[in-house]
Amino acid sequence: MPLADALSFLPGLATVAAEPAKDAAALLRLAEWCDRYSPWTAPDGIDGIKIEVTGCAHLWGGEDALAADLIARLDRQGVTGRVAVADTLGAAWAFARFSQTGERPVVVWPGKTRAGLAPLPVEALRLDPATAQGLRRVGLKRVGDLYAMPRDAVTRRFGEAAARRLDQAYGDLPEPLSPLAETPARRIRLSFAEPIADPADLALATGRLAEDLVARLVLEGLGARRLVLAFHRVDGRVERIVLGTARPSRDPNHLAALFKGRLDTVDPGLGVEDMILAAFAVEPLGPEQIGFAGASINPHPHPFHSLPRERRRVGEGAKEGTSGNVAALLDRLGNRLGLAALLRLEARESHIPERASVRVPAALPSPPLLRSGPSRALRERGVQAPTVTLPDQRGREGEAAGWVRGQWGGERLIGRDGGKPPRPVRLFEPPEPVEAAWLLPDDPPFRFTWRRRAYRVRRADGPERIAEEWWQPDESGVVDAIRDYYRVEDEEGRRLWLFRAGLPGGGHPLCWYVHGIFG
Amino acid sequence: MIGPSSKMPRDPLSVLPMLRDQVRRLERPAATAHGVLPFGAAAIDRALPGGGLARGALHEVLGAGGDGEDGALAAAFVAGILARLVTAVDGIVLWCLARPDLHGAGLAACGLDPARLVLVRTARDSELLWAMEEGLRTSGVAAVVGEVGAFPAVASRRLQLAAERSGVTAFVLRRWCNGGQAARERNLPNAAATRWQIAALPSRPVTRFREGGDSRAGSGIGHPCWRVELLRCRGGEPAGWDVEVREGKMVDATDIVSLAEALADRPMAPGGGDTSPPEAIRRVG
Repeated sequence: MPLADALSFLPGLATVAAEPAKDAAALLRLAEWCDRYSPWTAPDGIDGIKIEVTGCAHLWGGEDALAADLIARLDRQGVTGRVAVADTLGAAWAFARFSQTGERPVVVWPGKTRAGLAPLPVEALRLDPATAQGLRRVGLKRVGDLYAMPRDAVTRRFGEAAARRLDQAYGDLPEPLSPLAETPARRIRLSFAEPIADPADLALATGRLAEDLVARLVLEGLGARRLVLAFHRVDGRVERIVLGTARPSRDPNHLAALFKGRLDTVDPGLGVEDMILAAFAVEPLGPEQIGFAGASINPHPHPFHSLPRERRRVGEGAKEGTSGNVAALLDRLGNRLGLAALLRLEARESHIPERASVRVPAALPSPPLLRSGPSRALRERGVQAPTVTLPDQRGREGEAAGWVRGQWGGERLIGRDGGKPPRPVRLFEPPEPVEAAWLLPDDPPFRFTWRRRAYRVRRADGPERIAEEWWQPDESGVVDAIRDYYRVEDEEGRRLWLFRAGLPGGGHPLCWYVHGIFG
Repeated sequence: MIGPSSKMPRDPLSVLPMLRDQVRRLERPAATAHGVLPFGAAAIDRALPGGGLARGALHEVLGAGGDGEDGALAAAFVAGILARLVTAVDGIVLWCLARPDLHGAGLAACGLDPARLVLVRTARDSELLWAMEEGLRTSGVAAVVGEVGAFPAVASRRLQLAAERSGVTAFVLRRWCNGGQAARERNLPNAAATRWQIAALPSRPVTRFREGGDSRAGSGIGHPCWRVELLRCRGGEPAGWDVEVREGKMVDATDIVSLAEALADRPMAPGGGDTSPPEAIRRVG
């Protein structure tokens, strides 16, 4: 009935404006909180939550205990609810809303579903009101009555939705539950009898969780790459710390240290009652060989988990004043600055300068890159370190232009890779335009203006022609068709790498750019 | 029994270096505790305490003039030093920067293998200094390089202490985006062990050869020439040198900086090669 009519019946009626958005948000938060029972949770409609507790119930001592715990905790948060546990989603929905047990949780064991569903009204099948009314009009008031009808008649008369809901409730049709968030590969939960809020206690609990998770990962030979530590507060909110590592890690100290570094971003509120550590991306990780004294032979040690607890201290076997190894350093830097901030320079076979040396993320696994050869210990025993070979930059040399002024003859002014002129230490991306003046078409400029300063060129070398790589697809770069590169030196000695884009004598104007600066 | 003290040598003049060394060790016990990296050029090594660049310490490198914005000379100088350092020490080189314009081929030309580098790209100075300090505290890192503009003295002290404790060498390249800020901050003191300033000099003309065999003095660019100034050195005195950077024909890369023979008298004669002896290096300052 409209509000005005209701108020006329009962003038003292308390009214509150409906806020569906806030209600939905609150339901979502509650569903996230229910994550403590199982990661497979999702809101259901506007007033329900569905949780998949297959395989989790034993952690609470059975489905009855789990349901009772849920009711008690919801009550503590000020939420009244009805809980039903059954072996299909449809049946649980029906029992939660339509069973006659009052406030007590309903647990229906497999095999009793059919008998339990039969006396419930047809609205318990999640049908829309029109279909339910149609069923009632023909006299099918109970679910059991509907079940007794031939299925194709029901489909013809009431649509396939009715038959589908019936099958889902009885378990003949599977109904998967899409969880809110990604389900973790491994999960460890720590519940506290009393809620804790002290940062020292949280840190201790973090360490304990990390060790337990690592114990599980060790048994399966896995390492974790992405971890989420969730703090379930007493008021129902969930705070999270998300962590990523550059390599799969199984080092409890390292993981705990990474989490502890971010603990100050977590607000425990009035207290945290559960902490759940979930590993999302796991990769296989073999065991490490340890030396006799407990330190690893590998110069980048991973403490092998079978060491007794007291030995597993950070820095064992490391130098005085140092903590951890390079992989741990990259993790620490990556977690604060973002893993995209760590880069390596890799050479590519290309004679176009901006493609010849590319920056790649450093988090790609390639252990030989961090080591230059046998470790100091092995080297002292006489194992020779291999000579450091620079990446092979055998790109095709640009074709030399006609005239020669300052040829690369005589002494080798070139880099270690034979045959190519030296490259600048700093390369601008994109190249900066300059205004240049030159005499003859193939000459380097004798004067140019760059960054609003005028430069007079005293010496120049070049040109070196670098043409586009026709074998690359068209959209793979911003290369002008032909570039003639010159090394120029001005009166003060600044050495720059200029190029002219475009061929002289063509119809379009020629553009000059500064591409880099030499040391 | 008190006898004549025979430990003291008779000659008082030879006592002085011994005493000086003792005093230096007492004054700064950790100064060269991790060893030194010699430049391979005798004149520079003589000016540095211990005969080379101190390892396990913080060194600051500035580029003169316009190089304060781009940092190419400073980067080439540091790359040359690192090229020798990484042959002696295991581990990666952590290079922290805000503008990722380092070119791998250019570093290779200076002798540094770019595969040993891990670049850390940061947005803020505070994050950059934090990353440098983290790198200094890690085993498996051979050296840490950072490109900062504003370099407060407190931060420099922290980095110096971290470097001393762990033995990892730290380099700070000063690089500003703003000329006014550069001028203001360039001369502020900090706790670096040495402070270098590199300026570019015009290179010497190099004799070129054409196919016909006749030599002709071309006007091409020769080997890069720098003016290297040691502005401040703990335990040493400021000095400056004009150097020519030349990769020796030997595979041994320790000789990356060799002192030019004929820079003593300038301007440069257009005829090529002088015959003045190699010791005629003008020491300035």
